[in-house]
Order: sequence, then structure tokens, then C-alpha cells
Amino acid sequence: MTDNALSLFQLCDSNFPTGSFSHSFGLETYIQNDIVHNQETFSEWLKVYLHEQLAYADGLAARLIYQALEENDTEKIWELDRILTVQNLARESRDGTQRIGDRFLNISESIYEIPMLTNYRNQLRKKFAFGHPAIVFTMVGHHLQVPKETTILFYLYSTIASLVQNAVRAIPLGQTAGQKVIYTFQKELRQATDKIMHLDESEFGVVSPGLELSQMQHERVNIRIFSS
Amino acid sequence: MSEWTGILELDMENRQGKTVAKNVYFQGAFKVMRPVYLNNYSYPCYYLLNPGGGYLDGDTYRMKVSLDEQAQLTLTTQSATKVYKTPKTQVYQETEFFLKKDSYLEYLPDALIAYKDAKYFQKNVVHMEKGATLLYSDIVTPGWSPEGSKFSYDMIRLKTEIYMDHKLVVFDHIKLQPEMQQINDLGFMEGYTHLGSLIVVSEKTNDRLLDRLYETIHNEVGEFSFGLSNLAIPGFTIRIIANTTQVIEQVITACHHVISEEWYQKKPSFLRKY
Repeated sequence: MTDNALSLFQLCDSNFPTGSFSHSFGLETYIQNDIVHNQETFSEWLKVYLHEQLAYADGLAARLIYQALEENDTEKIWELDRILTVQNLARESRDGTQRIGDRFLNISESIYEIPMLTNYRNQLRKKFAFGHPAIVFTMVGHHLQVPKETTILFYLYSTIASLVQNAVRAIPLGQTAGQKVIYTFQKELRQATDKIMHLDESEFGVVSPGLELSQMQHERVNIRIFSS
Repeated sequence: MSEWTGILELDMENRQGKTVAKNVYFQGAFKVMRPVYLNNYSYPCYYLLNPGGGYLDGDTYRMKVSLDEQAQLTLTTQSATKVYKTPKTQVYQETEFFLKKDSYLEYLPDALIAYKDAKYFQKNVVHMEKGATLLYSDIVTPGWSPEGSKFSYDMIRLKTEIYMDHKLVVFDHIKLQPEMQQINDLGFMEGYTHLGSLIVVSEKTNDRLLDRLYETIHNEVGEFSFGLSNLAIPGFTIRIIANTTQVIEQVITACHHVISEEWYQKKPSFLRKY
């Protein structure tokens, strides 16, 4: 592994303080309804979330943003920032992602001196952009010259790893069970990355109804430990 | 001869307080019936119809509807949209709406029934000016097959883009591909068979309305599950999963009543069809 990939690895740590620990993206609704209650049912949810929502939105966006960065097409990046935000029809997930994106950008700006991050910050300040973690992550990955495919794979890993930590606390699962899920998900992450590399741009933002419904329903679940 | 199977254009304007058509044009397998002014409203309801009874392999449909400032319109279909099997090429329907300031459009079509081996792609693009109001619904059924099995269609793709003053503000993309997905399971249809959506964009949206809608839907009888959430601009989406078209229609109608009462102090018309 190159040192650059190691740098990007830091951003994948579930302790990287982006605030993702307070977002379940609908998982808590399934937990409250007793549909997700153990390692097996959690893995089932995580698979659907990865392959049917994350891949079509954040994943495909990461690929397109990497390409836009290579071509110096900043307009395309702002366009993707907007579509990534407005395709998220559940308010809590949309707002939560925006907050995570903002904090992700803050920390990344304090670690790296990347002109594109400053550019993104200015867009946010002027309210021309919303802020999204997949965009910040890809900007850092591109800057570190980590290949496109690896950047996407690492981004998916970081999202899955923090969701596993959240599941460990919320279901609850044992720490070992959580680590087992992360280990078995290597295959799923490769598969999702491979799919993302071959997706047509017209496939952007496909969402499966049940996941989205659970994200909307979360606004009104009784006991909540997560903000989404 | 146009390359489209069916074309429809409808331009509405407000003439001294009454909404009338200034242009109605259709060609091929797409038609509107005479406008009906239900309940003595100042604006009409147009019923769309497909004279062939359904969409066939490779069919392409294009609809363009424009509303001038303060024009109001109800648009619906005469019956369910049927997409027959498409062995070669998917059926494509493209709709563009142009809503000027203070106009009002409710587009509430009947359910979509995709037959065995059918592929259907629907793209709706709405261009709104600030102050315009949109109510849009759709219902997707599990389709029809001679054997009576559900979800035997190949693919249904529904893409909706809403632009407010030229900026993208809503993007919705549903793709149901039963053979590739665990369609009945967690994350997809959660054991239900029918999917309904209602997207509303209006400056008048507030939390009180959403609470009232939530209560209203919550009190509806029938087996269904639903979600309700604010958009990034004033407006909201409601998604409903159920086991019959009727239950979804009942929920959408209940919401339509609440919205009409809150915003216009009136009852919406019953869209008589049968």
C-alpha cells in the first residue's frame, strides 16, 4: 500500500469526527420495528443499503467527481453536489449528509492544503453548494493520487464501517459481531465498486422504495438515538 | 409525420379569472377529451386518453403542458396506463410541464399496469417559477400476467426532475426490475405490492400542514405503510406502499382534500371516470 493510500485510510476511520456516528439513515426505523435485530438481519439491511442506494448516489457520484477533477470540470462538481442533495427526498438524511459533508470538509481543510477544498468551502459559504462527504472524500483521494477505483472502494468502506459501529450501539451487537460484518463485507464492497465503475450516468440516484420510506418514517419514530 | 407514437400539447392561460386553453394539439395515439369545469370551478379538468388502450413495444409519447401566470389546471387520465409486453424496445413517455408564477397544476394520473415482460421508462420534467404550485402523484401496480403472477414485468423506471427558476430542486428516480431485485423484501417493497407517490411543491407548505397530513394518513383504514418528508424547497413528498391501488388512491385523495381545504378553503372534485 502506498503512503498516499494510507493517508486516505485515515479518512475511513469510524472515529474520524464527521458526526456520522449520529446518523443511521433509516436503520433505526428498522430496529424500532424489530425488523433488524441481529447480525444476520443487519447484514441484510446493509447489503440493500450499499447496493441499492449508496452505489447509485454517493458511489456513482464519486466516480463522476473523480473524472470531473481529472478534467478540471468544476461546474460538473457543483452540479453533482446539487443533484446528490436534492435526490435525497428524506429530510433528515438530506440534512444529516449535508452536516457530515460540512464537517468532513472542515477537518480535511485543516489537514490538507488542497485548492479544490478551499474552492468547495467558498461555494458552500456563498450557498452555491450544499456540501457532501462523497465529494470531499473524492477530492482528497484525487489529490493524493489514489486511483479512482480505490477511492470509491475506500469511501464505501468508510460509510459501511461507521454504519456497523452505529449498529453495534443501537441493536446492540457485540464488537466482534460488528467486525465480522465488516470482514464479510469486503466481497460486497468489491462488487459494489465494480458495479459503480460500469454504471451508466443515467442510472444516477436510483432509490429503492422501502429504504427511502424508512428514512422518511424516522422523523416520527418514538425513541431515537440517531438524528436520521 | 412525427417520429413519436403520440404527441400532446396543452397551453393554458387565465382569461379574466377563468382558465382556458390557448392551444390544444394532439397527434397519433394520444388525446385529451373536452375540458370539464367540475363543480363550477374557474379552471378545467382535462382527461388524457390513449385511444389504443395501451402502450405497445417501442412506443414513444411526448406531452408538453404550459400554464401561464395564474392559470390553473387539473390533469388526469381516463383509466389506468397499460404497458403491454415489449419484446424489443422499451416504451418511453416524456412529459414536460412549464408552470409560470402563481399557476397551479394538479396532475393525478391513474395507476400504471405493466404487463409481463414489459419495459417502461417515464421521464417527467417540471419547470416552475417561484410562486407556482404543483401536485403530482403516481401509482405503480405489480402489473399483470396471464398466469396471475405479480411483478412479471421486466422494468419500470420513473424519473422526475423539478426545476425552480432553472435550478434543480427535486430529483426522484425509481427503478423496479423484479428479476434483478429481491422486490418483496426488506428495503424494496417490504412485502407490499403497490407503490404510490405524491410530490407537492408550494410556497404555502408549512410544518402544521405536514402534521395534519400525517394525522390524516395515520387515521386512514387499510393495510399500508407511508413516509412523509419536506423537500429541500417548500414542498414535500409522500410515499405509500400498499396491496391495492384503491388504498393508495384513498390516501392520496385524503391528502388532496386536506391540501385544498388548507390552501383554498374548498373541496377537490371527485374525478368521475367510470
